[in-house]
Amino acid sequence: MINKSGLLLRLAIVIGFASVAIGFLSSQLFYRVTFNQEVAITQQSIGSLYKTIAATAATAAYLVEKDLAQEVVDGLSTNEVVLNAKMMFEGIEVINNDNAFIDPVIFPIQSLFEADKSIGTVVIAPNIQYIEDKAKQLASDNSAAMIIQAFVVTFVAICVAFFLITRPMINIASALHKTTPGEGNRLSVPDFHQNSELGGLVRDVNVLLDKTQEQFTRERKLRQEIEALEKRFRMLFENSLSPIVLMEPRGNILLFNIAFEVTLGKLGLQLKKSYGPLLENLFAEPDKLLRSVELAFANDEIATGEFKLKTTQDSDSVWVQVVITSIVNDDLREYYQITLHDISKRKKELESLAYQADFDKLTKLYNRQGLEKQIEALIEQDRSFCLALIDLDSFKRINDIYGHEAGDEILVFVADRIKKTLRTVDFGGRWGGDEFVLLLDGADESTTRDIVARLVQRISKPYFLRKFNQNVAVGASVGAAFYPENSRVLQEVINLADQAMYDVKNIKSENPEHSLKFSHELNIQENKRV
Amino acid sequence: MIQLNLLKTIIVIGALIFASFVSSAELVVVVNKNNPTSILSRSQVIDLYMGKYVAFPDGSKAVPVDIEDDLNTRTKFYASLVGMPLARVNAYWSKVKFSGRARPPTQQKDESAILAFVMETENAIAYVRESSVTDDLKIVYRFDK
Repeated sequence: MINKSGLLLRLAIVIGFASVAIGFLSSQLFYRVTFNQEVAITQQSIGSLYKTIAATAATAAYLVEKDLAQEVVDGLSTNEVVLNAKMMFEGIEVINNDNAFIDPVIFPIQSLFEADKSIGTVVIAPNIQYIEDKAKQLASDNSAAMIIQAFVVTFVAICVAFFLITRPMINIASALHKTTPGEGNRLSVPDFHQNSELGGLVRDVNVLLDKTQEQFTRERKLRQEIEALEKRFRMLFENSLSPIVLMEPRGNILLFNIAFEVTLGKLGLQLKKSYGPLLENLFAEPDKLLRSVELAFANDEIATGEFKLKTTQDSDSVWVQVVITSIVNDDLREYYQITLHDISKRKKELESLAYQADFDKLTKLYNRQGLEKQIEALIEQDRSFCLALIDLDSFKRINDIYGHEAGDEILVFVADRIKKTLRTVDFGGRWGGDEFVLLLDGADESTTRDIVARLVQRISKPYFLRKFNQNVAVGASVGAAFYPENSRVLQEVINLADQAMYDVKNIKSENPEHSLKFSHELNIQENKRV
Repeated sequence: MIQLNLLKTIIVIGALIFASFVSSAELVVVVNKNNPTSILSRSQVIDLYMGKYVAFPDGSKAVPVDIEDDLNTRTKFYASLVGMPLARVNAYWSKVKFSGRARPPTQQKDESAILAFVMETENAIAYVRESSVTDDLKIVYRFDK
């Protein structure tokens, strides 16, 4: 219960020590004063003592009566304030005892009959020991009184301090201890302290508690607002369809959303702490990404670009638009925010648009534009190739008799044969109508002959039209020209092949087995003709 | 108030002393004309009368004489010599008498007896009025103030 460093105990100790010290000092002082007073009193009493024997002493001295003088000094010495006494006159000394004369009082013996005439001296030694004892006695009595007084004062001071200061303070302290800031509890002003400093303290504390509560309420409200805002942000972040990642420049991922996990799942990857700087491990061509980002950051721009993700072979390719923002935080640390927008679908659409432009819808072979691109690509690469132009025989007739659908069916059939016949390095395409083109990469005359012969053989086989329950057969007339042997100009090569093909067609009726003609043969023939 | 009283007392005492001087001017201390002592000091007179010495300066024994009946003269003499009333002189002697050798002066009935005693006693010393001094006597001390 009693606290070692409690106020009351400290106060008691301080007051106790102070009063004891004051008592000690004042008793010392009192002893000094008393002693001096006693000395003065003794001297006074010795003076009056002398007066009573002055006449006798004078008589003894006058008449040189040693016995009378002895009586005088003995009489003086019987007094308790006198330690020793002696008389001196006319060379005679009469003394009472052997005690030394310390601080003696000396009285000249006045002549009885003649004024101003000294006839001897009386020397009286005061009893210092007696005076000291008396002074000590008085002082010790006084000290005792002082100590009692000190105890009383201490007790009263402690009582007053306890009831007036300590107890109210302890009550305030324990009440304050039980008070939780921000709650409605307030301290009550102790009795008799309405106008004291303690009352003021309690009021100030209550004001402080009021302010604290107010602040707590405000902060709580603010926190709720922040939480709501955070929830919305999280919603925005988590529900984003695009993967969003916050990472350190080295690649440690600090934050990611569900969409990122979904994307990882699509890529068949496990969730990891890092996928390398800028998620480079996720990309099919990380070098491209890194270069692009480096360039953008060097120009203080946000890095954006479309990149392909690394996928397992059997799944569809995934393309993303990558947006990388460098964020410098308040603590001057750099972070990267990476957003991946899945653009696979758009990419596919674009690809299909490109496909439509370059391919024939019906036969899935290159159309004329696609073929021209391929030819240009070959020319650009400075490759030699053979261009063979194919025109179907009897196609028009079949189309007229059985309709377009049957015609289309025949075209698909022919295209299929072409695909199956061509080497992997070759290209085939539909030039328009019932005309097809073969681009035979690096082929010489004999290779061309082989391929065309095989193709014509395959095309010429009867085709069963299910709808009409009828077998039909088409033939093929083929004209071929070599690049760059025949010409370095594409259009000329095409024209040469075309002429050769028409030539074949012209002679078909008389020579059905003859299906292929080279442009240089044509030239010879034409030359011949000319 | 006390000081005033003290002052008054001093004035009264002074007046009395002055009066005694005036009246004692008549008294002189005399010895037998054959006495070798021709002059004494006041202290010597006191010592002889108050019992300190019972001899003249030359060593011869002295016999001081007091007047017995004429208290006025006696009072006047002691007042002039030691400034004490007679009562105190008597008290002095009553104290001293018990303690030893000092003796008070011998007494003669009146002045004529004194004169006769001094004339026939060579080592006597007495006080008489100056006017009564005869040729057989020698004045050794005068109260000249």
